[in-house]
Amino acid sequence: MDFAWSDQQRELLDAVGRFAREQLDYDVIENDRKAIFNHEAWRKCGDFGIQGLLVPTEYGGLGQDPLTTVAVLERLGYACKDNGLLFSINAHMWTAVSPLVNNGTEAQKQKFLPGLCNGTLIGGNAMSEPNSGSDAFALATTATKTGDKYILNGSKIFITNGPVADLLVVFANVDKSRGADGVTAFIVEKGMPGFDPSHKIEKMGVRTSPMSEVFFENCEVPAENLLGKEGGGAFLFTRSLTWERGCILASAVGSMQRLLEKCIRYANERRQGGQSIGKFQQVATKIVEMKMRVESARHMLYHFGWVAGHRKAVYLEAAMTKLHIADAWVKCAEDAIQIHGGYGYMTEYEVERELRDAIGAKLYSGTSEIQRNIIASLIGL
Amino acid sequence: MTQPIAKILVAFKSVPDPYEEAAPGGSGSTAKSVINPFDEIAIEEALRIRERGEATEIVGLTIGPATVDEQVRAAMAMGVDRAIRIDDSRALDPYAVARILHAAVQKEAPQVVLMGKQAVDDDSNQAGQMLAGLLGWPQATFVSKVEFLDNGDRARCTRETDAGLEVLEVKLPAIITTDLRLNEPRYVSLPGLMKARKKPIEVLTCEQLGVQVEPLTTTISTARPPKRTAGTRVESVEELVAKLKEEAKVL
Amino acid sequence: MAAQTLILIEHDRRQVKRPSLHAVTAAQQLGGDYAFLLLGKGLEEMAKSLTGHGATAVLVADDAALAEPLADRYATVIANAFQKTGATTLLATSSTFSKDILPRAAALLDAPMLTDVVAIEEKEGALSYQRPVSAGSMLATVQLKGDKRVLTIRAAAFAAPEGNATASRVENLAVDTASLPNGMQFVSREERVSDRPDLTEARVVIGGGRPLKDKETFDRLVGGLADSLGGAIGATRAAVDTGLAPNDCQIGQTGKVIAPELYIALGISGAIQHLAGIKDSRVIVAINKDPDAPIFQMATYGLVGDLHQLVPQLIESIRKG
Repeated sequence: MDFAWSDQQRELLDAVGRFAREQLDYDVIENDRKAIFNHEAWRKCGDFGIQGLLVPTEYGGLGQDPLTTVAVLERLGYACKDNGLLFSINAHMWTAVSPLVNNGTEAQKQKFLPGLCNGTLIGGNAMSEPNSGSDAFALATTATKTGDKYILNGSKIFITNGPVADLLVVFANVDKSRGADGVTAFIVEKGMPGFDPSHKIEKMGVRTSPMSEVFFENCEVPAENLLGKEGGGAFLFTRSLTWERGCILASAVGSMQRLLEKCIRYANERRQGGQSIGKFQQVATKIVEMKMRVESARHMLYHFGWVAGHRKAVYLEAAMTKLHIADAWVKCAEDAIQIHGGYGYMTEYEVERELRDAIGAKLYSGTSEIQRNIIASLIGL
Repeated sequence: MTQPIAKILVAFKSVPDPYEEAAPGGSGSTAKSVINPFDEIAIEEALRIRERGEATEIVGLTIGPATVDEQVRAAMAMGVDRAIRIDDSRALDPYAVARILHAAVQKEAPQVVLMGKQAVDDDSNQAGQMLAGLLGWPQATFVSKVEFLDNGDRARCTRETDAGLEVLEVKLPAIITTDLRLNEPRYVSLPGLMKARKKPIEVLTCEQLGVQVEPLTTTISTARPPKRTAGTRVESVEELVAKLKEEAKVL
Repeated sequence: MAAQTLILIEHDRRQVKRPSLHAVTAAQQLGGDYAFLLLGKGLEEMAKSLTGHGATAVLVADDAALAEPLADRYATVIANAFQKTGATTLLATSSTFSKDILPRAAALLDAPMLTDVVAIEEKEGALSYQRPVSAGSMLATVQLKGDKRVLTIRAAAFAAPEGNATASRVENLAVDTASLPNGMQFVSREERVSDRPDLTEARVVIGGGRPLKDKETFDRLVGGLADSLGGAIGATRAAVDTGLAPNDCQIGQTGKVIAPELYIALGISGAIQHLAGIKDSRVIVAINKDPDAPIFQMATYGLVGDLHQLVPQLIESIRKG
């Protein structure tokens, strides 16, 4: 077992740290208040190489392994306070880019991947429906083949990147009688007739990541935009969701590290009763627990990255990683507020936003309850 | 300008990452090195001059042991065409650096040498001027704007001085040292970094350059200067004014 | 005209810059006698003003070819004067003027050089020099080899010299203009005229950071407070970069180093590069909305809150006396 980074990885990670510090450390308070997505930062990340980390070089990516990829995303989370931007990037990478890399035809890859890598295109997926969340494959959205087109009808909810997406990987059923076996994935592009992603949804956290409800009304999708096989959607979805679970909170580990350092600074600086509050055991304990959570989260993340680079079946590791980091992040953010006292509750001090941003992690990509169910079944319960 | 400058040489130094040091509490990681920020501005300027079609080749040059290759690759990732590292691991003073650069400039024969006005570790602000003195070339220091005139025969440079701004014209070949506001360097992108790993670095020794230098300055010790400690927090303007009058007696 | 130390004097074409004279104190610490060296055009009055500071001579190179401080010519004239006087030390106060010219002269003289010396001491028979490095976060103690040296000193670290009754002689240096380098040409200069005291000499300095948002606010708050106290204005790099203040106001590692009686930092978080330029101030006041701002760790008095409310109150309170 070797925990050391290679020279090349270290060089890459240093470059990421510096890029994020110099280009992404912008003021987020106003963007969060007004729910503004930072297009410029998105483009910079693409130009820098983030969105294409895992994509093979022939399609404009960097061909990195999963471990390097999660470490890069962690560095981003540390230096960039815009958790929403990073959430959007993650959604793009795991729910649009990764299915295209794994299941796209050569023509689809050539057409979409370079733009998805370099920041000119924004992707996402559309799975959840008003009446299907955790029971993901009970889809009401249908796709009917007519000639060389599919006609999509239905609606999707909680679509991350929806309002700004150039393309979405949309799941619809080609034959409801087949249940999950009828679920099929399509690449739906902005401007296709009958596709309306414009109904924005307000939310509690990661407010700088745009989200909308998406409607398909006799939406015409050319057959060449079929992603994978008819009926292959459930497998494709599960595969990309597994990656998503394992990796989506990589940036959260960086964000926790940032919170931890902020708390240490504050605890040393803030004085009450003649000494810094860090000397009080109640405060010190909270910060020590925070440190333990950050370190264990990081270990689980890197372990997932390593496993994912070495074998295919990573369902258990993905679920455990997601569950652990999501819980750890929320707890860290909550404790950070407590340590900062009244200041922590004020928007200006940028601690309360972290809690709002963290909480969604227990919901998206499968709730914490679902992760526990998966783990339970995979360990033989 | 019809006739581009054939070659610009950019000299740069590896320095400990100044932001690591500045981070309160520190990140706890081992000391990282970066291209001296002023030299990075020099690299950026050279690249912009080339991108405007006013120069053909940008050669990067540094002095140091193999560990600085990481910064050499960063320079190539930014867009420097080729790079030379003069292998020397000694603690050199600015004059020794200037003499080594002098030999390298004679070998490469560029029309312009661009470098930072100072390195942020040593803060000397000498090497560029000394190099100009050794070469007998004109110099423009603290430069915040560069334009080439007369088919690349002259450079018009705006300098940031203590009193304001000053504009000079220098005949080429010349040394230009860069100040903060000349430009904002581009970031090293990951694709650039991966391409740079494939470019070779030319490694030379002082011997090969035919230059022998002994540093004339010796650092006996470095110590943290006495630190100012935090004073009192006051709660209001009234309290502040009272303290300044009665305690500090500065009002 | 022999002297052990040759002090290069800076002027603004009208008068000698006072911090230039702080080098006298450094020369005295080095031991031996010292001469002043003044370059330019039309220097008679300025040369006279230098005769009361104990120099063995005031050497004047007064020539149209030296009307502007062009480094190639100046370094040549200075190096020649150094050799003629048989001096061993070439000395000046740190400034963009001396830092431009002296390293070039050092190369011509084949001599080592140190910039920004803040202390000179003798240890075991050898002179050693202290100078800040890494934005002032460390203080290096350095020794030099050889029998010649070039130094610039920080004005804040060496006191202004006391007057000396013995009048120095003024001597003209012949300048062989034909042999001077001719590769540099002065075009123009843009200097700010201000009623406020010079930043490096002011008793009170008000510094402003980027949170002041726009030039109008900067002028109203930083300028207003400076005027109520008869002080100078300074700025962080970020404030200068965003156009809130002119470049010659920048304080810090790469800007000016100040040591006033009172420094008031408005909306300055306290990047190490800025702190390097203010840490010798006697009293530092920081007003910032961020209680975590590093500047509070070195401020004599810290006030957390909104500048836009607090600074007008402060100006009002000072005006009332």
